[in-house]
Amino acid sequence: MNLEQRAQLEAAGVDVGQALARMMGSEALLERLLGKFLEEPNYAALCAALERGEPEAAAAAAHGLKGACGNLSMTALYGLFTRQVDALRAGELAEAERLMEEIAPAYAAVTAAIRGGADGAR
Amino acid sequence: MMHPNGDQGPLRETLLIVDDDAINRAILEQIFSPDYHIQEAENGRDGLQAILSGPERFCAVLLDVVMPEMDGLEVLRRLSQAGLPGRLPIFLITAEANDRVLHEAYGLGVMDVISKPVVPYIVQRRVQSVIELYQARRSLSCKVESQQARLLRQAQEIIRLNQGMVEALATAIEFRSEESGAHVQRIHDITRHLLSRTELGQGLSPGEIEEIALASILHDVGKIAVPDAILNKPGRLTPEEFAVMKTHTVQGARLLGQIPQLRRYGAYRYAADIARHHHERWDGRGYPDGLKGDEISVWAQVVSLADVYDALSCKRVYKDAFPRERVLEMIREGECGVFSPRLLACFFSVEEELSRLYRKEEQA
Repeated sequence: MNLEQRAQLEAAGVDVGQALARMMGSEALLERLLGKFLEEPNYAALCAALERGEPEAAAAAAHGLKGACGNLSMTALYGLFTRQVDALRAGELAEAERLMEEIAPAYAAVTAAIRGGADGAR
Repeated sequence: MMHPNGDQGPLRETLLIVDDDAINRAILEQIFSPDYHIQEAENGRDGLQAILSGPERFCAVLLDVVMPEMDGLEVLRRLSQAGLPGRLPIFLITAEANDRVLHEAYGLGVMDVISKPVVPYIVQRRVQSVIELYQARRSLSCKVESQQARLLRQAQEIIRLNQGMVEALATAIEFRSEESGAHVQRIHDITRHLLSRTELGQGLSPGEIEEIALASILHDVGKIAVPDAILNKPGRLTPEEFAVMKTHTVQGARLLGQIPQLRRYGAYRYAADIARHHHERWDGRGYPDGLKGDEISVWAQVVSLADVYDALSCKRVYKDAFPRERVLEMIREGECGVFSPRLLACFFSVEEELSRLYRKEEQA
């Protein structure tokens, strides 16, 4: 992981230093797990569940995303998913839907930063 | 960092990670794989099955709470029913550490609850400390058990040594009377038989009977104070010589009383009594104290009869062996000592068995 990739991730709200510490300093593991985040099916599942108005399915998907963001120190996204999970469990479907307005651009920024890094590594 | 697998052998060094999320498993594996073998389960059901099929393989379990198939709390409930948390430390790793979950988890015996996302050095330190604690506890309880076993072995060796010393002493005295050590062994066996197979032993525990039987072999220990010329005289003793011979009873009791270690020994109080009183008679005309009837202890009476029976049945320096019929007649008719009717009845009820002691010797 070069400095440019690192800067892109930081700009997208990822605390790279903290994430690396969680991986016991292993950049290889961090890169592998960031790659896994791209394959994470929960984001699509979350969008679909909200569209269909299914709070339980939405909560399960948001919970999974929250965990992944926490582990990868995606600080901004983690905060947003935490609020969304809380809203869904409190039965506030409208609030959960409204949060998507903030979540969508943050998610796009993070995945773009990861892809940029992945592409750069090729 | 201390490696816990140093001296604990190959068992118990596997850490089980139960989590449905691959990222969580990968991070925990990265943290713990330098120190432990890692086994992973992707849901609660698989994790539970892995644990129940061989709990002794694992040194700890890291358990997620929210999982498909079976959630972590249900896994914990099942493990708790199986009594496992006391033997195997279980850690909940969860982002849902609310009061209800915490309360139930600790109630079910969970070791610790660690919140997600994990901070490596914290989770590492907390898990490792507990694993080392459990290992230390196990090895300590092994050590206590092996020490107890060793103390018991030593105690048994001391008892055997004690018996050996007593037998050696008695046999040495028998040899001086130019008899084999077999006499004291037979007195031991006859005494034990009469006390354990007839009503004579009523009120005595098996341990007490063993002590009396052991004490019986010291009945003639006082003969050590009797000169060879009297002890081994082939013919009849003069009244003066007989007076000296009779002192072996009092001398025996005195000798036993002068060995302080013996006073603490369970068989001592029997040994001193038997040595002093095994020549008393039921009619009060025995020596040294002229005790009468039940003034004489049951064990002294038993040894007295055993001694007469054995002396008559065997050759001595002053006499030949009598045939068995004649021995029984002499005892029955009071030709060689006077015994209580109850003692005689008990003796005759088992004499058939006692007589085998002599047949065996003839064969040998």
